Amino acid sequence: MCETCGCGNKNGFRIVDPGSGEFTHEHDHHGIHSHSHAHHHDDMNEHPHQDKIILNVDILAENNRIAALNRRFFEGRKVLCINMVSSPGSGKTTILEKSILELKKKRKIYVIEGDQQTTLDADRIKKTGVHAIQINTGSGCHLDARMVDAALQKLDIEAGSILFIENVGNLVCPAIFDLGEKERVLVMSVTEGEDKPLKYPAMFETSHLCIINKSDLLPHVDFNKDEFIKNALHINPHLEFIELSAKNGDGMNDWQEWIINKNPAS
Amino acid sequence: MRSAVKGQPTSNELSEIGYFYTMHELSLAAEVIKLVESEAVKHNARSVDEITIEVGDFSGVQAEAFRSALEILSENSGIRDARINIERKKGKGICPACSQEFEMEQRIDRCPACGEFPSEIISGYEFRVVSLTIEND
Repeated sequence: MCETCGCGNKNGFRIVDPGSGEFTHEHDHHGIHSHSHAHHHDDMNEHPHQDKIILNVDILAENNRIAALNRRFFEGRKVLCINMVSSPGSGKTTILEKSILELKKKRKIYVIEGDQQTTLDADRIKKTGVHAIQINTGSGCHLDARMVDAALQKLDIEAGSILFIENVGNLVCPAIFDLGEKERVLVMSVTEGEDKPLKYPAMFETSHLCIINKSDLLPHVDFNKDEFIKNALHINPHLEFIELSAKNGDGMNDWQEWIINKNPAS
Repeated sequence: MRSAVKGQPTSNELSEIGYFYTMHELSLAAEVIKLVESEAVKHNARSVDEITIEVGDFSGVQAEAFRSALEILSENSGIRDARINIERKKGKGICPACSQEFEMEQRIDRCPACGEFPSEIISGYEFRVVSLTIEND
């Protein structure tokens, strides 16, 4: 049950501004809750008025509709929205922290952080001096377009800026939820296996860029980079790759250049 | 820790289930219930007898997890008596060399005749409510 209003909808999520501590509780109070079945029918012969309704409705249609509205909002304001996805612990937040320190000299930066609980990541991002909003998904394993829409209402995003959305660390569910982003960036680290594209094809298929992070560890691990890239390209021939180390800064210039080139404000 | 509850969960139990079902199948099941309920209202249905859903092997949705999420959530909804049919759709690709259609178990499968990766996937991404059977007065 939703803890704030007690409405019984466990799909509620929270938007937290770590600066003010202010939070909003968002969810739909949807559907009919009436239970009009006064009796149970045991015999199919009691159903003379059965109708078949053909729907063929995509179950993700509502998410996709809101994602399209988000996308139009970004396009209208010439905001570059980047959805960062990965397994937990791949280094997304560290990459963001370090890139923001440079990027904020050129563009206004905003960050939406998605985690099941805590504002730890948004707190880290706020220390770089940019505006960050935390979405706590509660039991949810991914961000959806509705959550991003709610967070956008808390961020008065200036035209020509860059918005990073750091998704919940998970290679499965975030793949199927469009948030309205222009670019989806998949962060992999060399401590993961080169067979990841084969195991989690949907995430590789829907991403535009793959960052191969923690490259400073390459001499110490068995990661076969060529095999990894080959596997990923079988799934998605258009995928781009940037190898970097957020720790020692290798490749960070390539990554920042990639972002600036994608920014419609430039 | 307790496994997912079947039967007649109360709303408190449902909120606990939410923590065990930390996956997208639960929120997608909620979408289906919302959709079916609004169709039922639109057609003045007394009840919904059957819901048919197509789930492709590459859709990112685990068919069995989706079914149990739907069964648990529908207990507290207007469609709790409906029979849920889940039709799995196999992956199918087109070979760029021989132009033949071939079945795919996995996304990385190649044409069994030519050994080529598919140039196009024509089936496997489906995730939709196909039809409802409702009862009218």
